[in-house]
Amino acid sequence: MRRHERLIVAAAALGLFALWETLVRAGRLDASLAPAPSTVAESLIRVAGRPEVLASLWVTAWEVLAAFVVALPVGLLLGFVLAEVPVLGALFRPLVNFLFGVPKSIFLPVFILVFGVSIPQKIAFGVFTTVFVLIMGGIAAVQSVPRELITVSRVYGATRGQIIREIYLPAMAPILLESARLGMVFNITAVLCEIYGARDGIGYRIAAWGENLQMPQLYAALVIVAAAAVAVNEALRAVETRLGAWRQRT
Amino acid sequence: MSRALVAIRGVSQRFGAGPSGVAALDSISLEIPDAQFVAVVGPSGCGKSTLLSLVAGLRLPSSGTVLCDGEPITAPMPRKVGMIFQEANLLPWLSAVDNVAFPLKLRRVAKAERLAAARRMLELTGLAGFEDRLPHQLSGGMKQRVAIARGLVQNPAVLLMDEPFASLDEQTRMVLGDELLRIWSETRKTVLFVTHSLNEAVYLADRVVVLSARPGRVVDDVLVDLPRPRNFAMAASERFGALKDRIWQHIKSAERA
Repeated sequence: MRRHERLIVAAAALGLFALWETLVRAGRLDASLAPAPSTVAESLIRVAGRPEVLASLWVTAWEVLAAFVVALPVGLLLGFVLAEVPVLGALFRPLVNFLFGVPKSIFLPVFILVFGVSIPQKIAFGVFTTVFVLIMGGIAAVQSVPRELITVSRVYGATRGQIIREIYLPAMAPILLESARLGMVFNITAVLCEIYGARDGIGYRIAAWGENLQMPQLYAALVIVAAAAVAVNEALRAVETRLGAWRQRT
Repeated sequence: MSRALVAIRGVSQRFGAGPSGVAALDSISLEIPDAQFVAVVGPSGCGKSTLLSLVAGLRLPSSGTVLCDGEPITAPMPRKVGMIFQEANLLPWLSAVDNVAFPLKLRRVAKAERLAAARRMLELTGLAGFEDRLPHQLSGGMKQRVAIARGLVQNPAVLLMDEPFASLDEQTRMVLGDELLRIWSETRKTVLFVTHSLNEAVYLADRVVVLSARPGRVVDDVLVDLPRPRNFAMAASERFGALKDRIWQHIKSAERA
């Protein structure tokens, strides 16, 4: 975005908050459902300072990380195998394609039955949801490697290991990072299914505040979770842009 | 004539087994002496590129042998044979100089040494000052110059060129042709140059090998007795026309078949 575009966006956001604030103060918006931004900000400071809220945030962050650390290598490796071994690809790719399109939340009750309402349940459900994105990403990454570059390296005497290191990895890097980023979005969404039933985690707090109509706290938590998700996403995107600079056309 | 540097002896190539298989090349024999510039022409699909991939060691012939410097070629020989393709096929994430140094990197040549060699080659191919550009920042002709520099960086005896100028525009093609002749006269490589263009073949080569339609057989072996250095005016000469005509007669009858 250019400078004046950024200014316009910032001005529009500020304007929206100002309008919201004014409408609440004028009694035109129900403060119990949509508390004024100033109230939410106040609540944000209070909520973020409470140890039990911080502990819940850590629980969720830990679950998200654990699920990602498992799903990332498993998903990508499965993707590589399906792309490189024709027999397995023919057998399992239709199944993966089919499951990819199914909303994973319908399986949540199964996970609760198997694991109980617990941290392992949330991690397992996160892995299950994320792994499909990464399998698809792994397949796409392998298929993005230009065959001609492999021929060129063979002419110049590259070994199998060198072809993997010098051609496959750099060629796949942008798509791998893109899939990791997308996978993370799905992963966070899956773990936050704790809103529907959990004993801890920020999702559990959000659900509790919602049930008690504690709107300022609810909105404060939304701001925190949204900020964390955006931060993770943008950090991954920054790495992706750096490693994928060669893909850009001038 | 000196001893053959590249010897192709009774080489046939079939793709696929049984009656559904396709014969691509049929008992090709060619002796190519050191420092000769040989163009290979023939109708579409006659196996010109297959012939090059055999010399490159990318595949083994169904029968017959290919020798380089007396040694049978059974696998790529990067230090003896460089190859340039129709597309430059540069590694898009590497700068021009790193692309040229790539074959040396595969051989684990020390970084300073390989970059110095790559810079020299870029200078030879007229790209001094473009070392740090990424491929997408270079024009089609410049990319092909980088590919030629990469082909030459290990100082191989043989340079294989598979329609290297086919995807470039006419002007770039003519400029690069003259550049290639200059580089060739400075480095004295043995060149095997596959092309669709009869003008290009006669203009560049010492000798034009004409293949028949599939399965490719050698139907003519034409010595180009035009003086060197070649220049643009020669392309209008009677001799040039006569040579081109002789080659065209073979291709015409094959393409009509």
